[in-house]
Amino acid sequence: MTRNNKLVITAFLLPASILLIVFMIIPFFMAFGLSFTNQRLIPTPRGTQLIGLTNYLRLFNDRLFWTGLKNNFIFVLIVVPLQTAFALGLALLVNIKLKLSKFFRTVYFMPTVTTMVVVSVIWTFLYYPEGLINGFLSSITGGLWSGVDFLKNTAWAFPAIMFMSIWQGVGFQMLIFLAGLQEIPASFYEAAEIDGASSYQKFLYITFPQLKNTTTFVLISTTILAFRLFSQVYVMTNGGPRYSTYTVMLHIYNTAFKRLNIGYGSALTVVFFLIILIISLVQRGLLGEEREVD
Amino acid sequence: MKRLSILALTVFLTLVLSVSVLAATEITVWYHSGQGGEREVIQDQVKRFNSIQDEVKVNLVQLPEGSYNEQVQAAAVAGDLPDVLDLDGPFIANYAWSGYLYPLNEFVTPEMEKDFLPSILAQGYYQGKLYALGTFDSGLAIWGNKKYLDAIRARIPKGVDDAWTFTEFMEILKKLKEHPDVKYPLDFKINYGKGEWFTYGFSPIFQAFGADLIDREKLVAEGTINGPAAMAAGAWFQALFEKGYANPNPPGDTEFINGEAALSWVGHWVYNQYKDALGDNLVLIPMPKFAGQATGMGSWAWSITTNSKHPEAAWKFLEFILQPEEIVKMTNVNGAVPSRLSATKLSEVYKSGGQLDVFVEQLQTIAIERPVTPAYPVITDAFATAIDNIINGSDVREELNNAARSIDEEIEYMGLR
Repeated sequence: MTRNNKLVITAFLLPASILLIVFMIIPFFMAFGLSFTNQRLIPTPRGTQLIGLTNYLRLFNDRLFWTGLKNNFIFVLIVVPLQTAFALGLALLVNIKLKLSKFFRTVYFMPTVTTMVVVSVIWTFLYYPEGLINGFLSSITGGLWSGVDFLKNTAWAFPAIMFMSIWQGVGFQMLIFLAGLQEIPASFYEAAEIDGASSYQKFLYITFPQLKNTTTFVLISTTILAFRLFSQVYVMTNGGPRYSTYTVMLHIYNTAFKRLNIGYGSALTVVFFLIILIISLVQRGLLGEEREVD
Repeated sequence: MKRLSILALTVFLTLVLSVSVLAATEITVWYHSGQGGEREVIQDQVKRFNSIQDEVKVNLVQLPEGSYNEQVQAAAVAGDLPDVLDLDGPFIANYAWSGYLYPLNEFVTPEMEKDFLPSILAQGYYQGKLYALGTFDSGLAIWGNKKYLDAIRARIPKGVDDAWTFTEFMEILKKLKEHPDVKYPLDFKINYGKGEWFTYGFSPIFQAFGADLIDREKLVAEGTINGPAAMAAGAWFQALFEKGYANPNPPGDTEFINGEAALSWVGHWVYNQYKDALGDNLVLIPMPKFAGQATGMGSWAWSITTNSKHPEAAWKFLEFILQPEEIVKMTNVNGAVPSRLSATKLSEVYKSGGQLDVFVEQLQTIAIERPVTPAYPVITDAFATAIDNIINGSDVREELNNAARSIDEEIEYMGLR
């Protein structure tokens, strides 16, 4: 590697590194430090004091944290498999070379590039008792469906948010699967066809194994994104009704910015980070990403 | 020699001139830019203040309301607070506790203090010192549709003293429910969503039942927010939604305007909107008498910060905008209640006999300030959450117990007791 090359590499790395360090790495370590203090958003007359592990011990008795964590796990366990399967299905569909497949790729991807807050506001309207979704369900069932106030009903609110989240996020995973599909050499399929393989067999023995790395990536990234569930619940239900959509991220936000308790909020973020880290590592270990060797 | 004297003269003149320029003390004022009308009034006030005198020059900085509190918090942490700023009522205690606000007692004369509404002083006083004075206050009462009230032959109270009693109020709700055109007798503005409105609008219910959000002397929530009176208040409130007297999930802001609701439990700020929709059918009804009688209060108020090098100059500006004539200029555009009794006399709607004078009477007699303590952000969040869950059918006892526990936990953590 020449010296000149190093310079170029540094120049390319610098902008992203600075942003990452200033906005991700430093704040993370600050949060770690603050989690051992009683720092408040509006500083107190007594100043900030080190209070050891008090914040971490408090967490064990924090009912809302555990409610949020339970909801987060339910969300991940339902959304991740569904969204991944759905994304793979869509990718297979739009991978078929048809006249309009490019158009449909764009259509499926559109919700993903729309801001989550905007999407949430629009879906809030759709979910109204007199909204479009209730109207649709009522008309296809010939009036048997009576209007449900989706976001105000403890049984419906969380599923409604899950459905909307899958709809919004699926385009991104579809795109990754699509890239993975197009990586698979056409010769594999040609060989299989000569051997008389059915489409189902082709999918099971060629497509699926070839997509292993892609699937691993999609599963892990979807899991992390799903744990960060915030905008939807903040805009659509604010954690309600009766905590049925309360999540850890919402709890962190409420603690730090509504109740002005930065110290405890930081402790929550650190613990939550560790939980997600462990889950990601376990996933990675189980799925075992294979590195291709050139 | 001549050249030297010219030089000396120049230096002398420069000094003299610059001193006379410096004589005007510059102060910076931060203001949350609210409605368009409010902005124009404050800009005009600053302009006139700067032109009628040359000792103090005010630089007005308007910051968007949406992120105003965050900006002030950031400036407080960074030590960049301006000389003067306005703060939302419930936040004042927190800033005063943190030592960011300069006490105003040395400037305010006893006569001037007596002229302010008691509610304004209650909101501005923290631990024996006055930290903020507003030019206006807010009012909470019940707006009524006269058409429906006349149809059921309901008595329309004139003032705080002859307000509806508990039995009268329940009787009226029951009759209104039976009226064919009325979908929900009472509109609680649940569409404002879980937030400050829930505390502002519904803590007076708890206080009217004889409860409160917290024991204000001992700073303990346990036994007060979840005491027997509070449980009764919560149960009564929940029953209103269960019996269909109020809509737990109104789709919009229009229930009262389009005649689906007969009464609307909300503040002064809807006056113009309601007046346009109902005309002469709009009546303002004082808060009902339960075990006691209570209403909400509080609004934006002005403070001088400890960061200011010229608190006297800052006060000159506040003194100017707190004059009755200036107060009325502001309240005429934003519709709020003037903060001084002498100013209410100048206001068309708030003067004695005016259409909204009930608000002034209420603020003088039955208004209860939201707890003036640095723990307020926790209290309001816990209470609003409990109210939200109670509306949605949660167990009242459990919700209020949770609120008590989470408030007490935080107060202990903050070391306030």
